[in-house]
Amino acid sequence: MRGWRSLLPILVFTALYAVVSLSVTNSYYQLVMTLVPVWAIFGLSWNLLSGYTGLISFGHAAFFGVGAYTVVLCQIHFDLSPWVTIPIAAVLGGIAGLLIGFPTFRLQGHYFALAMLAYPLAILYVFEWLGLQEVTLPIKRDNPIAYMQFADHRLYTLLALAMMLGTILLTRAVERSRFGMALLAIKQNEAAAEAAGINTLAWKLRAVTLSGAIAGAVGGFYAVVLLVVTPQSVFGMLVSAQALTVAMFGGVGTVWGPVIGSVILIPLAETLNAEAGSRFPGIQGVIYGLAIICVILLAPEGLFWKVRDFLRKRSAPPAAAKPGAPEAPVAAAAPAAPAPARAKRPTGTGDVVLEVRNLSRSFGGLKAVQDVSFKLRQNEILGIIGPNGAGKTTLFNLLNGFLRPGTGEILLDGREMSGRKPHELCEAGIGRTFQIMRPFLRMSISDNVVVGAYVRAKTDAEARKLAADAIARVGLSDIAERIAGELTTKELRLMELARALAGQPRILLLDETLAGLGHDEANEVVAVIQRLARDGMTIAIIEHTMQAMVRLVDSFLVLDHGAVIVEGEPEAVTRDSRVIEAYLGKKWGAHAPN
Amino acid sequence: MGQDKIEDNVADKVSKTSLTRRTVLSGAAAIGLSTMARAQAPAEVKVGLIVPLSGIYTRPGQVMRMGAEMGIEHINAQGGIKSLGGAKMKLVVIDCGDTTEKAKNAAQRMVAQEPDLVAATGSYLSSFTLAVTEVTERAELPVLTLSYSDLLTDRGFKFIFQTAAPASVQSQLGLPELMKLAEKAAGKRPKTVAMLMDNTATSVATAKALKEKLFAQEGLQLVVEEVWTPPLSDATPLIQKVRSARPDLLLFMPNAISDAKLGLEKINEFGLGQGKIPTVSFSITIAEPDMLQSVTPEVVQGIMTIVANWGCKGHEDIIAELKAKYKEPWATQNVISTYGDMWLMKAALEKAGKANRLAVADAFRTLDDGPAKYYPGGQLKFDEKGRRVGAGVVIVQWQNGVPVTVFPSDLAQASPFWPKKS
Repeated sequence: MRGWRSLLPILVFTALYAVVSLSVTNSYYQLVMTLVPVWAIFGLSWNLLSGYTGLISFGHAAFFGVGAYTVVLCQIHFDLSPWVTIPIAAVLGGIAGLLIGFPTFRLQGHYFALAMLAYPLAILYVFEWLGLQEVTLPIKRDNPIAYMQFADHRLYTLLALAMMLGTILLTRAVERSRFGMALLAIKQNEAAAEAAGINTLAWKLRAVTLSGAIAGAVGGFYAVVLLVVTPQSVFGMLVSAQALTVAMFGGVGTVWGPVIGSVILIPLAETLNAEAGSRFPGIQGVIYGLAIICVILLAPEGLFWKVRDFLRKRSAPPAAAKPGAPEAPVAAAAPAAPAPARAKRPTGTGDVVLEVRNLSRSFGGLKAVQDVSFKLRQNEILGIIGPNGAGKTTLFNLLNGFLRPGTGEILLDGREMSGRKPHELCEAGIGRTFQIMRPFLRMSISDNVVVGAYVRAKTDAEARKLAADAIARVGLSDIAERIAGELTTKELRLMELARALAGQPRILLLDETLAGLGHDEANEVVAVIQRLARDGMTIAIIEHTMQAMVRLVDSFLVLDHGAVIVEGEPEAVTRDSRVIEAYLGKKWGAHAPN
Repeated sequence: MGQDKIEDNVADKVSKTSLTRRTVLSGAAAIGLSTMARAQAPAEVKVGLIVPLSGIYTRPGQVMRMGAEMGIEHINAQGGIKSLGGAKMKLVVIDCGDTTEKAKNAAQRMVAQEPDLVAATGSYLSSFTLAVTEVTERAELPVLTLSYSDLLTDRGFKFIFQTAAPASVQSQLGLPELMKLAEKAAGKRPKTVAMLMDNTATSVATAKALKEKLFAQEGLQLVVEEVWTPPLSDATPLIQKVRSARPDLLLFMPNAISDAKLGLEKINEFGLGQGKIPTVSFSITIAEPDMLQSVTPEVVQGIMTIVANWGCKGHEDIIAELKAKYKEPWATQNVISTYGDMWLMKAALEKAGKANRLAVADAFRTLDDGPAKYYPGGQLKFDEKGRRVGAGVVIVQWQNGVPVTVFPSDLAQASPFWPKKS
């Protein structure tokens, strides 16, 4: 139901646009009315990859051009109608996306953007070399409709509008499914996404394939509208830039962005060309450029987000007027001073869930982890401590697959798991949180958490349910619909915890979950972790401060310079001279009781 | 439908010179009040010029505009369109921008916003003309063009009229003449040839014709062939190859001024310039006035180019006026062809006897106005494809800082010299 109601603005917009376009009689304005949805679709296609994953593509013209040439060449050589060839163009665009995506996704950030830039430019020269500098769609004087050649240009607008509506619905379906969640997770933090059980490469390939297919289809349609295809007009820099421009102007990562951008920019550019161009040739480019610069400066994420943030701020004060409220549930659920609710169990009992044998990893000459061995038993809380640089996080990275071990074994329920990819380890039951939080700031807590649930859930509904359970377990249910950007550090920590829990891990690796928290806040989080342990979770937690940990853990593993120096129960470990020495230096080590 | 009515009205008005009640009524019905106001003014006939006036092709567009403006001025000064009671021609200028898409959109704007145009001319680059004529064909507006891609008139279109010889014909016409010239001046026929070209559509089409047919036909052996993608960043490797091969003839085919400049400077630097290796081009780029901003007259001395049109013998008044009015040192193809297009439109209007685009298109198709005055060779007559019958080429040679027409001899401003190989 929620979905249908939010569809309303889109349907109203499409209907209004259709009505307006039908009332236009001037063939030039009809053309402009057609180009708006064309570029909006192309922007949406770009948005589907770059807007959601954050991997900026400067090369979407590659797919667009493939589509355009498919339609033109098929009509010239095989006399195929665009009605048939536009779907073919979509397929070829998708294949192009897959072929380009597979090697290019090895790269990240600027390198990805630059590599993408190269594809259309390279293809452009190939097409020039093939002698396809100027290709025209043959005019069909008899039976034009069968070849998508309409005398009434308004039909093109309606067709483009239908394609745009289809693309919007597709994008929304993606956005709301695990597909969209996976892409957003990749955008925020690819490593965290992988750790949350998302096979990032697979999702990125799906995204680029779908994006390429949409771009191919609209490229094919554009050829029908433009009638003449030249490599520059479909593979050129300006084409790729057009996708970026409409999407970034209107708003990145939302279906409305490219539509808004296109509705404003395309008629603006054309009006400037028509009105200013004949009096001051070239001035249109200057004004157009200035308009874009202003918007990028004032609204770097695009108009849509700027307006939405503005509206939110205006309606925000009443919501923020009850600051005490969100604190309440957690505080109520967990007393500020956590009681030692769990009876300490003697170490060395219970089934071994995770066993690490002689694990080592070096970075050049630096031995980050040397010969570490330990066992993690069912329902145990293991505290991994050590001074800064002791190799704690590296150990976690080895355990959840971010790093491959140099030597050694990681056995999960007796099965060798070392060297597996993070999402595979997540599926196998290892969940983790991060020292540096990377929440999805614009998304609500429940949307943030649901990302972590997909590794277990088969359907979206199941994922929602798992997420809701996880949120309840950390005590955030009452504020589950709040935007992550408005949360306190403690709430963010708990949200991260919930995201890891949503995947129903058997082992939870918590990386400095208490960092940056005040004393009382830390106690609240500790209380939550204790409750988890009581409910049967097996936990390994990294900290370099010991106070909160002593009450929390069953046993300690102390690392220094990558190696285990002490292992044992908290009382014994805190008195160990080697531990004190590692933390405070030799001088204090001598003061130790033993 | 409405279109015809408007045009009929204009014709009525002019022929009767007094307004009848019927005309006013139907005129108002068809075209509204603005046109009614104009009905009192001396009637005018609108023709379009759709050329690049912004972006990187601005300069040729501006030059075409000069030619069109001069043409209209001369026609109007000589009494306008006589068969329309002395109606004046009026130029509507439309910027077609610097991309195919912009050109197509501009054409759509032209046919939508200027419904009373009777003909148009444009659009410099053949890609732009292709896009523009896709629109004008559907709007049934006749368009004259100086673009010479074969494709333009291979689409079975009925409303495009190509005044220049198509690209495939140009080299076919030009090269044999060039060989004759060489033979006459130097006493022997060139035997080897080097070809340096960019990969634009025009160059590729020309090269295809040369390699597939003409070299063999003229007994030329291709010893060096190099292709670059504009802009050319460094001409050294290209020219080095030419120097080591020492061909009798160098075909240098740039389409951007900067490429032309870079290449010629390098040719000079390597001591191959000023006739050491006779150099020939196939576009007007190398003979544009802009060249002299970049290189000295000595560098270009003797270089020849085979083009579709150029200021020739008999155009002296136009060239003088162009110099005085627009400070253009000479008339390139862009000026003279567009100037001629205005006269061609006038001829069609005279023949049609009414300011109606369909009638004008029909007049172009059936026109037979004798030898062409502002295009080289042939007649003012179009074949069924819309190609001008007998369209020829002009060979232009840089002589003392001015590219002058040296062939055909009846149009030549000066006699050619064949650079002597030292």
